[in-house]
Amino acid sequence: MTRYLVRRLLLAIPTLFGIVVLVFLLLHLAPGSPGVAAGSPEAGRRVSAAAREEMRKLYGLDRPLPERFVKWIGRVARFDLGESFVDRRPVSERIREALPATLVLNGLALFFTLAIAVPVGVAAGGRPEGPFDRASAVVLFALYSMPIFWAALLLQTLLSVELGWLPLYGVSSDPAPTGIAGIADRLAHLALPVTCLTYASLAFFARLVRAGVVEAGSQDFVTAALARGLSRRQALWRHAFRNALLPLVTLLGLLLPGLLSGSVIVERIFAWPGLGRLYFDSILSRDYPVVLGLSLLGGVTTLAATLAADIAAAIVDPRLRESA
Amino acid sequence: MIRRLPGTGRIALAVVALLWAVAAISPLFARRATEIRLDERLQAPSLAHPFGTDDLGRDVAARVVVATPISLAIGLVAAAVSLVVGFGIGAAAGYFGGTTDLLLSRLIEVVLCFPVLFLLLALAAFLPPSPATVVLAIGLTTWPSDARYARAEILKAKNLDYARAARAAGAGPARILLRHLLPNALPPLLVSAAFGVSWAILAEAALSFLGVGLPAPASSWGGILSAAPAYIEEAWWLALFPGLALFATVSAYNLLAESLRQATTEAGRP
Repeated sequence: MTRYLVRRLLLAIPTLFGIVVLVFLLLHLAPGSPGVAAGSPEAGRRVSAAAREEMRKLYGLDRPLPERFVKWIGRVARFDLGESFVDRRPVSERIREALPATLVLNGLALFFTLAIAVPVGVAAGGRPEGPFDRASAVVLFALYSMPIFWAALLLQTLLSVELGWLPLYGVSSDPAPTGIAGIADRLAHLALPVTCLTYASLAFFARLVRAGVVEAGSQDFVTAALARGLSRRQALWRHAFRNALLPLVTLLGLLLPGLLSGSVIVERIFAWPGLGRLYFDSILSRDYPVVLGLSLLGGVTTLAATLAADIAAAIVDPRLRESA
Repeated sequence: MIRRLPGTGRIALAVVALLWAVAAISPLFARRATEIRLDERLQAPSLAHPFGTDDLGRDVAARVVVATPISLAIGLVAAAVSLVVGFGIGAAAGYFGGTTDLLLSRLIEVVLCFPVLFLLLALAAFLPPSPATVVLAIGLTTWPSDARYARAEILKAKNLDYARAARAAGAGPARILLRHLLPNALPPLLVSAAFGVSWAILAEAALSFLGVGLPAPASSWGGILSAAPAYIEEAWWLALFPGLALFATVSAYNLLAESLRQATTEAGRP
């Protein structure tokens, strides 16, 4: 067990280093850096002398590459992401402000994804090629192919504009009602963005659950469980699903980058003040410290999540430990 | 290959062929798609304008048709870039193994850790706006899945008899990889490529929808859709029809990929 953990953690170190390097490379697309070719929009942008000077000081852009790199590593190691160009506040502060809105959105989306994908995947995989499997396959396939911004626009048109059931965008009404009405108001504003984020990862995850259950279901221990007189339902949930669960746990970490990607689009359409919108606004206003800080955060969080998932899987499944 | 496709796969193939046919005749509609008539702006669908008109009075149906070759071509080329980069890196990792594999696998892992849209937006917004930028940005952010496919295939095949025979005959790694292993890994790579095309079309649409895709005169389906949010309360057709074209195309490619996968895995069975 300890050997597996050590090995897994050691392998994460070069990945972490790679993430820091990749973000460092992104920095070279910024104005005033040697990487920006003549004729690019950044070279042609009328960046004020002050902004240029600031970029130079902040990232040492006039220094040779190795020195720049050491400086960057040093700042990352101190969790010093610099100040936003837009409002002069520390990048970490701006991220902290936008974080709760995104956590609520993505947390709910993740919850609904699992709450729907697992039963649907198990039911479909329990009887492969059965009527439910075929029907759910068609629906999931359609959801999988549907662009998230199109789905968002259609839902807005139908539920907000035509029927008037749900608010078009925002976090709450203005002025926000208080008490029970206030909670209902917040939930109504959450409904559409959460739906959009959920259906996208749902289609992806339910297919994985189904595949895992189909594979586990054809194995001897399921046949043995049925032979012992367990009901189909028990054999499915207690034996097939439990065995299919492990690879799914390790894949959970990979849902995260997808959710964050979706957040950029969903938060833009629904004017949701979270990390996705902060990232997009920062891209448009060329607020490089925020762009780099959020990219770093996105990469490191995903790495941490996959690592946690792998370790959790190893704790639950002794086979993983021993084979490593 | 086509003969082994299940029925749904043939339908998907027919839809893809139809889309390319529409792309081929799309220049006929170029004039109609760019004709600005402010007296006819934001008109609901009618016989004269089956998909309605946009905020400048342009015919949405003609614009959707004219955007077809743009979206299809960008999807195809970006998927090709992704496949070439992905195959190169994945095949090298699988073939050479050891330290090479360890390093290249970390590289794949690093890129997979980033939310794709984060990298995509940064590349597309900070590089000069052009079709080449969009294609490169998509190709350079989506290759890891192709790489993982290629690595697994090469890993399986590199110690099979034909590869050993080629090695014994004195062939170098490049020759073995390209002449012997690549053709045999082609069917599964084709599946990955078909999924790649649908992914690339979606990615381009997302970029153009967010306003950092193709520069102004050219407009893809995502570009037409980018005007929809501003008129969401009055012109539903601006959102519905370009999105429908996008949805149909992405579904067709996904369905094709899925059927190819079925056809290749069934062919592999004894």
